[in-house]
Amino acid sequence: MSGRRNVVPAAAGPTVLLLAVLLLTGCAGTSPEDATASTASGASSSAASTPDGRAVQRSPTATQPPSGTQLTVEVAGGEATGDTGRVPVALGERVTLTVTGDAADELHLHGYDLTAELLPGQPAALTFTADIAGVFEAELHEAGTVLLSLQVG
Amino acid sequence: MEGPAADIAAADVAAADVPVDLLAHGVGSRTDLPLPLGLALYGAGAAILVGFVVLLLFWRSPKLGDGRSGRPLPGQLQRVADSPAVRRGLQAVALAVAGLVVAAALLGPEDTSRNLAPWALYVTFWVGLVPASLLLGPVWRVLNPLRLLSRLLRPLAGPPRGADRLPGLGLWPGAVSLLAFVWLELVPAGRTDPVVVAAWLAGYAVVQVGASLWFGEEWFAAGDGFEVYSTLLGRLSVLGRRDDRRVVLRSPLTNAMTTPARPGLAAVVLVLLGSTAFDGLTRTVWWQSGPGAADDVLSGTLGLLASIALVSALYLAGTRLSGRLSRLPLGPQPRLFAATVVPIALGYTVAHYFSLLVLDGQTTWILASNPFAAAGVDLFGTYGNVVDLRAVSADLIAYVQVGAVATGHVLGVLLAHERALRLAPRAPASDQLPLVVVMVLFTVGGLGLLFGF
Repeated sequence: MSGRRNVVPAAAGPTVLLLAVLLLTGCAGTSPEDATASTASGASSSAASTPDGRAVQRSPTATQPPSGTQLTVEVAGGEATGDTGRVPVALGERVTLTVTGDAADELHLHGYDLTAELLPGQPAALTFTADIAGVFEAELHEAGTVLLSLQVG
Repeated sequence: MEGPAADIAAADVAAADVPVDLLAHGVGSRTDLPLPLGLALYGAGAAILVGFVVLLLFWRSPKLGDGRSGRPLPGQLQRVADSPAVRRGLQAVALAVAGLVVAAALLGPEDTSRNLAPWALYVTFWVGLVPASLLLGPVWRVLNPLRLLSRLLRPLAGPPRGADRLPGLGLWPGAVSLLAFVWLELVPAGRTDPVVVAAWLAGYAVVQVGASLWFGEEWFAAGDGFEVYSTLLGRLSVLGRRDDRRVVLRSPLTNAMTTPARPGLAAVVLVLLGSTAFDGLTRTVWWQSGPGAADDVLSGTLGLLASIALVSALYLAGTRLSGRLSRLPLGPQPRLFAATVVPIALGYTVAHYFSLLVLDGQTTWILASNPFAAAGVDLFGTYGNVVDLRAVSADLIAYVQVGAVATGHVLGVLLAHERALRLAPRAPASDQLPLVVVMVLFTVGGLGLLFGF
């Protein structure tokens, strides 16, 4: 009676997968030099920022148009207009996000971790290659206003 | 994010505007892409088909072992697992780590992105508890630092006066404490504030230890949400205890079937399922621009409760209807089948939090290198690192999501079928249809939320 049929091998699969997950979580990120995404911190001020190493990332589209995708957002009285909401872009696309606000603030694109200083009435731009897949928010740090969520992929 | 500036800004925002906080889960720098429609459909179709085929063709009599089955582990391992000294030691380590996290919350950087505590609690602990329990069984029962605190305070408190009443409560206190945690995790805007994290953890410890002093140490197995969660997920590991208390290796399905159907078990499972569904819901454009547009505590609380109520209503209807067809007593039906929904809840959890653990989970290890942001401190040499958001590809995440939900569905249907065969051996398989239909709804709904409708 106690010797019933017992082991269902199919259940071992998820266990192995989860072991892999557990091991993966042990890794504590990557050094900044390896993470090409973080090297673009200087890309904040002007739209014509020099292409850094990230332009040659494993992007599926080898022939990128030089201009790339232009996204513009205006913020007035805490309200964002323009390319707001869920904004899809293709993986590997060159993206320029230009934000003009009516108050001093800091623009932050999560995940890519890019920032730009905003001065009242002056457009500030982030130019980057959208080479990390996922959905990422761009927000104003001081006001907490979410401008858009960039859907890459 | 906080403070009067945010309030003024929020007040000015028109109703159609984008909500302030898109990241529904406690913390995180990203959310997953919507599932590709084709993959979602294939996943749902395959899961449902396999579920029905197994049910109708291959599984006509009970196949799983009972509480006496399993291959015993060597005696030495058993002694280590049962050793009070080992437990107290591990609990002391866990208590030190928990103390460090609370101290880092209060004394470390104020900025959530640089403070260890929110990442340690919401990602590494809460999500990490899932793989840990699936691999090693009820780990939090062994590690729970509150058990140690309770023991240390016992001489002051005297004997537990409410111990007689504890069995009558079943797992209901655990369901309530889990609800309290998922509410914190998913609803209030200040949830990622390190001070809020510290306050919640301290409050939780006080309530739990206080209850344990009244009800006795077995309170934790019934009332500590984290322990209840870990123990429940541990039922899907290959490690279990036989009826004679021997630690054994056995099929996770057999392990799951031996879950005691205590009162409140269904509530625990439904809180987990409903809250994960709500987390998925808050990531959809429909929620963000519709019912959840206000993004305040009221809409979040109502949304969370409505999600739990919806899955509960479906589940109660499915189990009771199946029971009625087989002429079984209806009262115990929900809790008799509750363990069979655990794989589905687990599938939801893996699908929603896999990427959070492997991607944003890196933050914990980075910040642990210098929890108090002291100049020159870098314990593990990782403090300057950045999260590698390319560690797993978007394709892999999508496959894991569909695979987890589909596998959860098949295992859930299988367990429910086995349970039904044991409860009513002569009943036709069609009696199980109501519950299977509810499970199909859970699966299609879960994949739909990942697709983003």
